[in-house]
Amino acid sequence: MSAWQAWFVARARRRFAMSRECAQLLPRVCAALADPRQPGSDDTCLEKLLDWLRDLTELEPTLNVVRDNPCLTEFFTSVLALPEPSPSILSFTLRLAGLLAASEDCFQHLQQENLLFRLFGSGGTLNRAVWEDASVRSGWVEGVHSMMHHQPALRFLCNGGGIDVIFTLQGDPSLFVASAASQLLVHMLTLSVESETTTPLSEKDCNWPACAQMIIKHIEDSLQSGCASHINQSLKLLTSLFGSCRATWTEVLWLRIAKQVESFLIEDSVQTRHMLANLLLNMSRSPVFCDTEGSFWALVTSALEHLTPVQAGPLAVGILSLHKCPQDVRIQAMTVLLQPMDCILRAASQPLEYAGLLDESVSDPSTVESLLSSKSSCASLLCQTLAHLEKLLSLIHLPVDLPYTSLLRSFVTILQFCSGLLIPATPLGSKISQILIGCGRVQKSALDALAALSERKGCDTVIGSLFDILLVYLESPNTSPTVLKKSFQAMSKWLARLPEMSCFNSQWPTEKILQDVFLVLQKRLCSPCWEVRDSSLEFLTSLIKSMRDQDEFRESLLSSEVPKLTENLLEDPESYVRASAVTAVGHLTFITYSLPESAVAGNQYNKEDTTAKLQDILSTDPESFPRRAVISIFTKWLKQGCTGQAEDTEQFVSRAIQTVERDLDWEVRIGGLELVEVFCVQALCRVGLPKCPYAPASSTVTSSIQQNESLQIFCRAKLFKFLFWSLCDYDKPVGQKACDILLVLRASLSPSSMLKDCQGAGDLSAGRGIPWLQRTLRQGSLAQNFPTDAGNGVDFEDPESMMLALGTIDLEELHDELNKSSDHVEKSPQSLLEDILATVGTIDENEADCY
Amino acid sequence: MPEIKVTPLGAGQDVGRSCILVSIAGKNVMLDCGMHMGYNDDRRFPDFSYITQNGRLTDFLDCVIISHFHLDHCGALPYFSEMVGYDGPIYMTHPTKAICPILLEDYRKITVDKKGETNFFTSQMIKDCMKKVVAVHLHQTVQVDEELEIKAYYAGHVLGAAMFQIKVGCESVVYTGDYNMTPDRHLGAAWIDKCRPDLLITESTYATTIRDSKRCRERDFLKKVHETVERGGKVLIPVFALGRAQELCILLETFWERMNLKAPIYFSTGLTEKANHYYKLFITWTNQKIRKTFVQRNMFEFKHIKAFDRAFADNPGPMVVFATPGMLHAGQSLQIFRKWAGNEKNMVIMPGYCVQGTVGHKILSGQRKLEMEGRQILEVKMQVEYMSFSAHADAKGIMQLIRQAEPRNVLLVHGEAKKMEFLKQKIEQEFHVSCYMPANGETTTIFTNPSIPVDISLGLLKRETAIGLLPDVKKPKLMHGTLIMKDNSFRLVSPEQALKELGLAEHQLRFTCRVHIQDPRKEHETVLRVYNHLKGVLKDYSVQHLPDGSITVESILIQATAHSEDQGTKVLLVSWTYQDEELGSYLTSLLKKGLPQ
Repeated sequence: MSAWQAWFVARARRRFAMSRECAQLLPRVCAALADPRQPGSDDTCLEKLLDWLRDLTELEPTLNVVRDNPCLTEFFTSVLALPEPSPSILSFTLRLAGLLAASEDCFQHLQQENLLFRLFGSGGTLNRAVWEDASVRSGWVEGVHSMMHHQPALRFLCNGGGIDVIFTLQGDPSLFVASAASQLLVHMLTLSVESETTTPLSEKDCNWPACAQMIIKHIEDSLQSGCASHINQSLKLLTSLFGSCRATWTEVLWLRIAKQVESFLIEDSVQTRHMLANLLLNMSRSPVFCDTEGSFWALVTSALEHLTPVQAGPLAVGILSLHKCPQDVRIQAMTVLLQPMDCILRAASQPLEYAGLLDESVSDPSTVESLLSSKSSCASLLCQTLAHLEKLLSLIHLPVDLPYTSLLRSFVTILQFCSGLLIPATPLGSKISQILIGCGRVQKSALDALAALSERKGCDTVIGSLFDILLVYLESPNTSPTVLKKSFQAMSKWLARLPEMSCFNSQWPTEKILQDVFLVLQKRLCSPCWEVRDSSLEFLTSLIKSMRDQDEFRESLLSSEVPKLTENLLEDPESYVRASAVTAVGHLTFITYSLPESAVAGNQYNKEDTTAKLQDILSTDPESFPRRAVISIFTKWLKQGCTGQAEDTEQFVSRAIQTVERDLDWEVRIGGLELVEVFCVQALCRVGLPKCPYAPASSTVTSSIQQNESLQIFCRAKLFKFLFWSLCDYDKPVGQKACDILLVLRASLSPSSMLKDCQGAGDLSAGRGIPWLQRTLRQGSLAQNFPTDAGNGVDFEDPESMMLALGTIDLEELHDELNKSSDHVEKSPQSLLEDILATVGTIDENEADCY
Repeated sequence: MPEIKVTPLGAGQDVGRSCILVSIAGKNVMLDCGMHMGYNDDRRFPDFSYITQNGRLTDFLDCVIISHFHLDHCGALPYFSEMVGYDGPIYMTHPTKAICPILLEDYRKITVDKKGETNFFTSQMIKDCMKKVVAVHLHQTVQVDEELEIKAYYAGHVLGAAMFQIKVGCESVVYTGDYNMTPDRHLGAAWIDKCRPDLLITESTYATTIRDSKRCRERDFLKKVHETVERGGKVLIPVFALGRAQELCILLETFWERMNLKAPIYFSTGLTEKANHYYKLFITWTNQKIRKTFVQRNMFEFKHIKAFDRAFADNPGPMVVFATPGMLHAGQSLQIFRKWAGNEKNMVIMPGYCVQGTVGHKILSGQRKLEMEGRQILEVKMQVEYMSFSAHADAKGIMQLIRQAEPRNVLLVHGEAKKMEFLKQKIEQEFHVSCYMPANGETTTIFTNPSIPVDISLGLLKRETAIGLLPDVKKPKLMHGTLIMKDNSFRLVSPEQALKELGLAEHQLRFTCRVHIQDPRKEHETVLRVYNHLKGVLKDYSVQHLPDGSITVESILIQATAHSEDQGTKVLLVSWTYQDEELGSYLTSLLKKGLPQ
């Protein structure tokens, strides 16, 4: 066991182990739960109790848990004795019993007590009226699933008729129960084959273990039953089996059922076909089938041919993501996804200019054409295909080469159809354009696919029409805010690619497109709709991030009205917009900061003004988003050296932290601490102290002069008050962060060596209040409250006092305290047991109150 | 037969988190997307895997509707849209859209702060989610797509809460969300028109309760606060940022004014302004009294309630503080509680439900020694009071809404199974409609009998009235004509008009039948015998013997020929139009019996 593992186990033991208090509480809890006179405990308590007992059985031998706590078995007996147990208690009982029976020796123990048969067997729960309640059936399935870890459990279920119950529950009216039953059968089949098989398996029954035989027979019977729901249940089961189990025996199983499954391909049931596609997809991912030369891949090819494009889509995209797959299957899968795009291009009457994507001899496009010309199916087929293509295009390692240029053309064409710009004369084209015009769903899918395509090279030739259509979307008043956001995202991604597109630059200069973009952005920044203003600002920030090094971009941006309008939005009534404006303005500063004065002058864009405005937002904005954005931008500025000379930076940081130290939002205060952290690291580096926070200071490198210098900087910037105060913050993450920073400072400034010098000098005034501070912090960090009379003589700006504080206060102890679990009330088992006991009897009125 | 399917993923026989899937006329709608505050792991969200099995979420679901801003109705929305991947339309009212992100953000902050969780939605996700929301007005019919439309109705409960009608063609469902049928201090009562939906999905939190007057609870609350303040104690009222807090603020403000009290009342800083802003913005959503007096005095501009600074908690003397969060599980309210808990003069009033695992839950269940962080024991000596101000319809209110909407079926959600069972029987007895109460994961299927409106041409109507059949609402009757489906509407017109409108030529469809009769006589003699026989039997009909040797009875034509192989057998060819089908069948059976000798 590694040290980490050991640590985790030790921590888990501390947290979940059965303490003396819990051992005393548990019998009372069990008695209360089994008492029908007491109103039931709420379901979350029962769930959490089960969670704890599960954790407990993972830490200690289950049999010990059961023997040490006889109240558990007594609880089962009491519940079984109830004439009408409540469904939630019975469900809990079944789940708990299953959980304990997962260990073989405990299973035997419960068997000896005759509890398992009474709970799970035919004479027990199954015959009670409460079986009608879905939560009881669900508890039964879950209990059986939990115990299913050994052969005795398998035999118990199979010999006692329990397996038939599971077969029935596959068709349960509750989705949850049906799905759990199916999962259970998969688990049992795998367990049976893997634990009970002694000879290599063949297609014949005699080799298979008894339980596996029963399940397989059930699968085969269901597949042959002709009953759609039974067929679906078995297909679902097989899908999940092939998805989770990759053992070689699954191939033998497949050979037994392949013919039957194949026959479904030519049948008409939509639901079965949908299931079939999922099954084949999971199988294609299994290494067991990837090497098969013949029948499996032939079946996949046949499925891709016979299923409708909508049914085959998920299978096709799955196949194309595989790294190992026969080429002809891949082509067939590609055909499924490309055919609708090809149809779109042909419908646009542009066969000469834009060759189709596919060779018509490969496939018959008539089905797709008819789907695209129908109002009910056109948009869904296109949305689905575009989403599949987007998924493929987003893969980092795409195992196939897609025709990127043609895809780009088809996406652009779809967007043209949707915007009403393209109304071809062909019957198909005119039909599609009628259906698609104004269709937001298709627009969004096409824009997503378009954005994903920007990552791929080799589609430069139609770039002109791409920018044209994106501009149309950005400009059009008909574009909805959600479509506009996606248009911005696509535009941003494609603009970032501009520099590498030589052909585009020569035909149509970058400047022109940028001018057009900024023109439309100006308009959108003034939109009455906050969503639009916000998306516009996000777009601007993303553009600056990716293009700020390009001269053309900077010039176009600064010569437009965009910077001014952006700054105006710092006063937007909507806080989200103000926050985005802060971020955008902050990024604009990166551009102006590096420019010579003359280039910025014409823009009336002044950094001091900006800083003052942001500082103002930090101290006065009533909402936290803008304040958080400001402090985050300040940290970015500091990191990138945009805060001026050292003295300016010192003042800048000092001002910022004095503003944020009393901010009501703990995330703003954390932001302030992050600013401090960057500042400290930079200051330490500047004076030559090690910048790695946790590197031990080498005496040959550090000198007391350097340490003094940095200490003075920190004191001047008033960091220490902020840091020590933060140790007692209401919100724990703030205290933890402050403590981390103080530990870094102490490691770098090595106060112990300096303290020796101080003591030598005999200066005692510096130590005034430090013991008080130490005491206060120890109490305060626990109570999360720094005294309001703040100080008691401690001078937080005095370097020597602070050095003394760093050297004498036990920061490690504070660090441990702050990092100690603060969730006793919430997570400790003792707290939970106390709550259950306290709640029993009082819950009724409050429970239903809700919110 | 058309059907409506309802599957609760949450709120099926529980009050944890609402999330209900409705499938109506091929459209799939998710009603609410709530979070369970009682869990800290994935169990807090509905299990969406049952929807993702059906392919892409955005393709499967046509829209998501959020009824109001409480987290058990909208808390999973950012998770659903930004992490699970739903990218379709989301609808809620304007106030809900404005307030929802505040509560989501509040909860996110507490979750990340207190529990240090990282696998939770971020601020950016909340914003991105909200940008996808389409806000709707009350009574505005919103066309989600060509077939699906939705309409919001006022629900009371909290600011912006709405009931939604979902309609596809002539089938409709109404989802109430949480509602309140009695007005309170700041909100009005829920209202819906007699829309007769096929299904009403209603909350049933207080399925078996008849709640006492809210005035009593208010009086009790004021009395307790007043007594504590009078004896120099401090009162802590843990609340969620928006909602009930404002109701209680109005209550205290008015009381302080009336009694001329001087003890300060504080509210977590920032929230008063924000709340004030939203209540001003959405003044039309408040009750009539607030709307009326708004011009003279804005009820939400409080004179006595001031912003709270954390230093105030240490001030001596009495005070009342509203602080967040409402379950005492973190932040400011817990901090103040720890300071004040040890003094028996003080009081904490919990105005809402608390989940297990919170300090609020512990003190409400009577625990007085709490083990806090660092294993410190906090002894609670202050008084603890629970006062429910939650605004749900009680049993009477639910029955009243059913009476108002006149649904054909009712489905109960957001309640406890036992109480639902009682209400279900009551509804079935009183309204004679089917009532369902599916558990989570169970699908209820309701078969609908859609009535399809058809316009009838004036000509046809006149013709019908001419033969004395005046239209009468109470006596449904069958009308004959040609049904034309055009431009998504149906019209019943006379066949002639249909032909004319559609520019079609008339074709006559005739049924024919051959009847063999043994008769050695000549053909014309056989015809004569047939004629005489029919004339004798069908006295009320016009039977004619035509010169060409054929016989007609109304539109029925009978011709006789000798059998080609057997001259002693005559073949009677009987043909008739569909209008005379009955007579035609009768004639053939008559002739098959043979002719009288």
